[in-house]
Formats: sequence, structure tokens, C-alpha cells
Amino acid sequence: MAGEGTTSYDYLFKVVLIGDSGVGKSNLLSRFTRNEFNLDSKSTIGVEFATRTIQVDGKTVKAQIWDTAGQERYRAITSAYYRGAVGALLVYDIAKQSTFENVQRWLKELRDHADSNIVIMLVGNKSDLRHLRAVLTDQAQQFAEENHLSFMETSALDASNVELAFQSILTEIYRIVSAKSLENTVDPSIKPGESTTISVSTGEDQKKAGCCS
Amino acid sequence: MIEMPRMPPTRPHIGINGPSRFSSYTSVEWAEDDPWDSASDSESSSQKLHIGARSNSISKVTLDATSTTAKAVPKPKRSPSASSLTFSYTHVNAPSPSSYSPKPETLHTHKQSWTMVNKPSENGLQTTRHETIGGTLGRTSEEFEIEDIEVGDTDAEGHATKVRRGSENVRHDAEEIVQGVSCHICLYVAKAHRSKDPFSSIRRNRLKRSQTAGLGQQKNLSSQLQRETSIRTNRRNKFIECLLAEDVNIVELRKIAWNGIPSDLRPVAWPLLLGHLSLHSDMRGSALARKRAEYASLVDVTFSKGREGLDQQIWHQIEIDVPRTRPGVKLWMYEATQRSIERILYVWAIRHPASGYVQGINDLVTPFFQVFLSAYITSDPEDFDPARLPPSVLSAIEADSFWCLSRLLDGIQDNYINAQPGIQRSVKRMAELVARIDAALYAHLQSENVEFMQFAFRWMNCLLMREISVQNTIRMWDTYLAEGPDAFSQFHLYVCSAFLMRWSKKLQEMDFQGIIMFLQSLPTQDWGDHEIELLLSHAFVLNSTWQNAQSHFLGS
Repeated sequence: MAGEGTTSYDYLFKVVLIGDSGVGKSNLLSRFTRNEFNLDSKSTIGVEFATRTIQVDGKTVKAQIWDTAGQERYRAITSAYYRGAVGALLVYDIAKQSTFENVQRWLKELRDHADSNIVIMLVGNKSDLRHLRAVLTDQAQQFAEENHLSFMETSALDASNVELAFQSILTEIYRIVSAKSLENTVDPSIKPGESTTISVSTGEDQKKAGCCS
Repeated sequence: MIEMPRMPPTRPHIGINGPSRFSSYTSVEWAEDDPWDSASDSESSSQKLHIGARSNSISKVTLDATSTTAKAVPKPKRSPSASSLTFSYTHVNAPSPSSYSPKPETLHTHKQSWTMVNKPSENGLQTTRHETIGGTLGRTSEEFEIEDIEVGDTDAEGHATKVRRGSENVRHDAEEIVQGVSCHICLYVAKAHRSKDPFSSIRRNRLKRSQTAGLGQQKNLSSQLQRETSIRTNRRNKFIECLLAEDVNIVELRKIAWNGIPSDLRPVAWPLLLGHLSLHSDMRGSALARKRAEYASLVDVTFSKGREGLDQQIWHQIEIDVPRTRPGVKLWMYEATQRSIERILYVWAIRHPASGYVQGINDLVTPFFQVFLSAYITSDPEDFDPARLPPSVLSAIEADSFWCLSRLLDGIQDNYINAQPGIQRSVKRMAELVARIDAALYAHLQSENVEFMQFAFRWMNCLLMREISVQNTIRMWDTYLAEGPDAFSQFHLYVCSAFLMRWSKKLQEMDFQGIIMFLQSLPTQDWGDHEIELLLSHAFVLNSTWQNAQSHFLGS
């Protein structure tokens, strides 16, 4: 990933990782951005940041991902990062029922602090812990449908579906953003970030457009 | 970038912050004017309850202690083997926190005796005290004998490297230390005079560095080496003299501690600086025994109803964070350590309901635990399994860690209560400071849309422990503890500012992503005391400049 910071991109999407403490958010991020998994990683304090650039429909999409601390006490700090996010991965642990029950509360957090158009994907992590499964796939799937969320089970440990999960949420965001910019046909190509409906890409696209404040 | 002084300055405490904040503790209990003891969680009635319970238990234990002391205590024989015990400056015949019987003296197998002449002190300590109270107090004579020096030479980290055969790295006198927290001042004195210099390797490295400048002449080097050796030895002697005093002069201790405490003296110096150990040697042992007993009873009460009786949310968070505390380091992976840390964190959390347990506090307990553990063993604490310690020793380490952590957190509780206003304030203040001192860096961060909160939150929340090594942290805390009660909030923000500005040039060449990623994993892996001391001296300069400036403005 070295030098990625300077490569150009067509879109920059800000995505947040949220969910209870210990469900594996940081490892999902390190698996996706560095293909690393750390069985005993330290807890996240506040927020941590990583990026990765992928191709979607022939366009270069750069994901700027903010990994947040799961503990309640950090909510005041972390919720500030929801602002401007176009996507959220709401993660629970398939082996811990309580982390799934708390998904409701996390959705409320997003409703309260995030853009109403934010794309949310429910992610059941630690799918490798089959023998410890506490949350049924069907149950989560149904919950996701009822709440208009996309859904996927992943394992940061064995890497299954991690790539796919990020790919699909970024693709979904891309489709929405490109459709929106088509709707606002006034001047779509020059200032893609200024579309008012999707506020996300605004601030961060400045660099690409070369108009830093 | 501001040119930093070569050597850390001696801390002129009184001039800067006024003497009132550094008044010495007159009581071993938490006196009302104890600067380290803030009124934590004042809104909670449960806290009041705790206080009540605390004083009850104290008075109860006090009674016990008194009655025990009143009993005729066998006078230690004035034999060489008893000398280390009698010399333990805090050794007291207070009730042992455990049922462990004292080790028979036959354990002192080594018969190498040391005779040294100690400078007559102004305190004019009397031999009689030792005779009357049975090895209870202070120095016993102007000439004394020392033995058991074979415990090991210390390496650069102060960890004893020689392992006593058959003792499995636990000091043979560990249980005696528990009772006295003597920390073998006698050994240190002896070692200092043996002039086996634990800092030689550090110094060699440093000299090597200066040699690369090309001007390294052999003669200069060896004289520099000699000079540094004598500086070290002098400093060490100063510490020993200070710590051995009948009444420790806290102002003096702060002054010398600012520049770093020899690692083997930390287990005594830290709790003294934090007010966990009494400055008065004659009260020290009994007060300490009381506090340890108090913690033990807190643990008993707290966990009496089993797991179901615990606050599930707090316990759950602690339970998942403890295995994630310094992962990969053996000490912290051992069962015994993890159970200890769980108890410390949980008991602290329920006693401080306004904050409860907040992630990151688990990091803050580790320096204490490690430093106290090092007093009882002869090997590297980071590889040591505490299960091998006698239970009374482990309980003592746990209790001392608990009280010292509590004292530290008392000063920064605002960092952990709802919405974390302490951190918000510190980060804001840090940004203002950097804006004034390093305008170019500040402007660059602004132009890249980097907010201080994005990186400095963690610096405040974990006191930079995620940015530097534990060894670095321990050295840094020497200075923080010397600075006084609010150093962990006030002085720390100057340290953080200096820390950020240290990378100023690099950061100004980076874009948003580069900056955030860089600040998330700073290249401090090779940092030693030298780098930390530069940072501290820079912070000191900032602190004296800006803190004074601020009060000047306020005054006018």
C-alpha cells in the first residue's frame, strides 16, 4: 500500500466501522487494508484510520475508513466521525448474542448522528467460530431486510467475505453517488463533490480537484 | 524548531508552581489537603458509603496493628544475616497481610558480608531505636553491615541479571520486602560502592553516537565516561540518602526524581511521590499494611457474591480488555497477572461510578504492576509468571498497584467521565499551544483538515502509552510524579505538544492521510531514556514559558 496516498482516484468515500467492543472491527479493517490479522490486538482508543483503493465499474474508488472504539464511553467522540460518512459497517459477533442485540442501538446512533442517506451494511463477524455460533444467519438476514440493510457474514481471521463485504458496500455507495450525480446533470463532471444530496465526498474531493482551501 | 537543551534541567519546583502544592504529607492517611487525593465522584452517594467503609476498616486495622505492635516482638539478633532486615527502613512488625510465616534465617545462605561506613546524618539516628522496636525503623547505626549482595547485578534496565540458584528468580527475601517495602536500600548502597555501573551499556551507546561526529578522542571519552559514572553514582547516593531519611524530604525527592529514578529504587520512590507510602519512616510499614489490608477487604466484599453479583457491563468490558493489555508480552499473558489486573480495574471502577472502567485505564495500571513486581524478583518482570510468587507478595503488588493507580486517576478523572471533558479541554489547549509555538505546523494541519482530536485523543486517554514503550513511559512518569499531582493533566499536555512538534518538519511534508497514518504509528520503537528526556526538557521549557504567561495574563 506504500505510496497509495498520492495516487489519484475518481471517488473518495468515507466509511465508518461501528459495533460493540471486541467484535473484530479493527481486524476487519486490517484484513481489508493490509491483509493482516492480529489475534491479540490492543483495544481501539477513540478512532483509527486506514484507507484502501479499489476498482468499481472501471472507476478508482478510495475508501477512507474510520475504525471506532466500541465502548459506550467513547460514543461522544466517535459519533463526530459519522458526519460526512457515506457508508457504515455495523459489526456484531456471531458468537455473542448481546452484540447482535445491540445492533438496534447502533442503528439509532447512526440515525441520530449520520447522514440520512448513509449506506449501512450489517456484518456478522467471526464466522469461523461455527461451533460457538449464537446468532443464526437467517435471523440476522431477516433483521437486515426489515431494516433495509445489506448483510454479510465475515471472518477477519480466515479472511472469508471480508473483501466481498467492503467491495459490495463501496459498490453500492458508488452506484448511488454516480446515479445522483447523473440526476444533478447541471455540471456533473467538474465538481462531483458539490452534489448536495450526497455530502460525503465533498470535503475530501478537494485535493483531487486541486482546490484546497 | 525550538532548540532543545542538551540535558534535562533540574526542576526548580518551588519557583514555578508555588510551594503549596508540594507540601509534604503529614499523615499516612489521605489527609484532606492531600494534593493527590481529589474529591472523586463527589456526586455519588455510594462513594460516601465507600469512604465510610474505608475509615471503618482502617480504624479496625489500626487497632489490630497497635495491639500487635504493643506485644513483645522478638528482637532480631544482631547478626549479619539479620542486618538486611533490620536495615529495611520501613520494616515494621505490623500484622502480615498473609498467613505466611517469616522465612527462617537459614535461607540467607550467602555469607559475604559488607561493611561500609555511612556518613553521619544530620538526623542523628540512634541505634537504640532498632534495639527497642525490634528492627522497625530506619538506619540503625552509623556503621552497619550489609549482606546478600549476590542477588544480582543490574543491567541497563535495572533488572537483575544473575539468577540465584534454586530461587527461580523470586528474591529469597521477597516476603520480608512485603512487610517492609524495604526494597533493599542496603543492597543499593552496597552496589553503588561496588561501582558496578548499571548504566555502562547505555553510556557506551551514547558515546558511540557522539563518536560518529568524528571528534571522539580517546582521552576525552574516557574522562567523559568517568565523569558520567561519577554523576550517576552521585545521583544514586543522593537518592539513597533521601530515601533513607527518617522523614523523607519530599521537595528534595521531587527535585532529584525529575531527572529520572534509578530503576531499582522506583518501587520505593514512586509510592512515596504518590503519597501511597508515608514520608515518615516510623509510620510507613503499619500504614502500608493497613492499606493493603483495606484493599484485600475491598476485593473480598466486591467479589463476595460471585460473578453474578458484579456489574455485568463493567465486568464484561474489563474481561475483554485484560487479555488485550500488552498482548504478546509474557507477563501480561499469564493467568495470575490477568486475574490481578481484573480485580484492580473492577474494584477501581465500582468505586468511581461517574467514570467506571474506560478502555485505556488497563494500560495505565501496567507500569505500576511491573515496577512493583520488579522489587521482588531478580529477573526481567516482563517474562515473569507472578504465580510463582508467594501469595502474600502477589497481593502486596496488586494492592500497591491499585492504590497508586487510584492516586494517578484521581488527578485525571475528568478524562473518563461522560463526554470526557478533561480530554476535550486538554486537546483544545494543546491545539492553541501549538498554534502559538509552531504556527507553520498548525497552519499545515489546518490546511490538510487534520483535527487535533483525530490523533491527540488517544495521547490524552492513554497518556501516550500507545505511542511509546512501557520503559519509556516508566521513565516519563518519574518526571510526572516529581512534577506533582496535576502533571498527568497539565504537564502532560505540554509533553504532548512537544511530542507533536518533534515531528513538525516531517508532518509539514505530508497530506491528510500521511499525517494521520504517521501519527497513528510513530517511529518511537528505538526510543530510550535519552529521547524521553529531550522530550521532557522541551515540555519543561514550554510549561514554564506558557504556564507563566497564562497566569501573567490572568493576573493583569
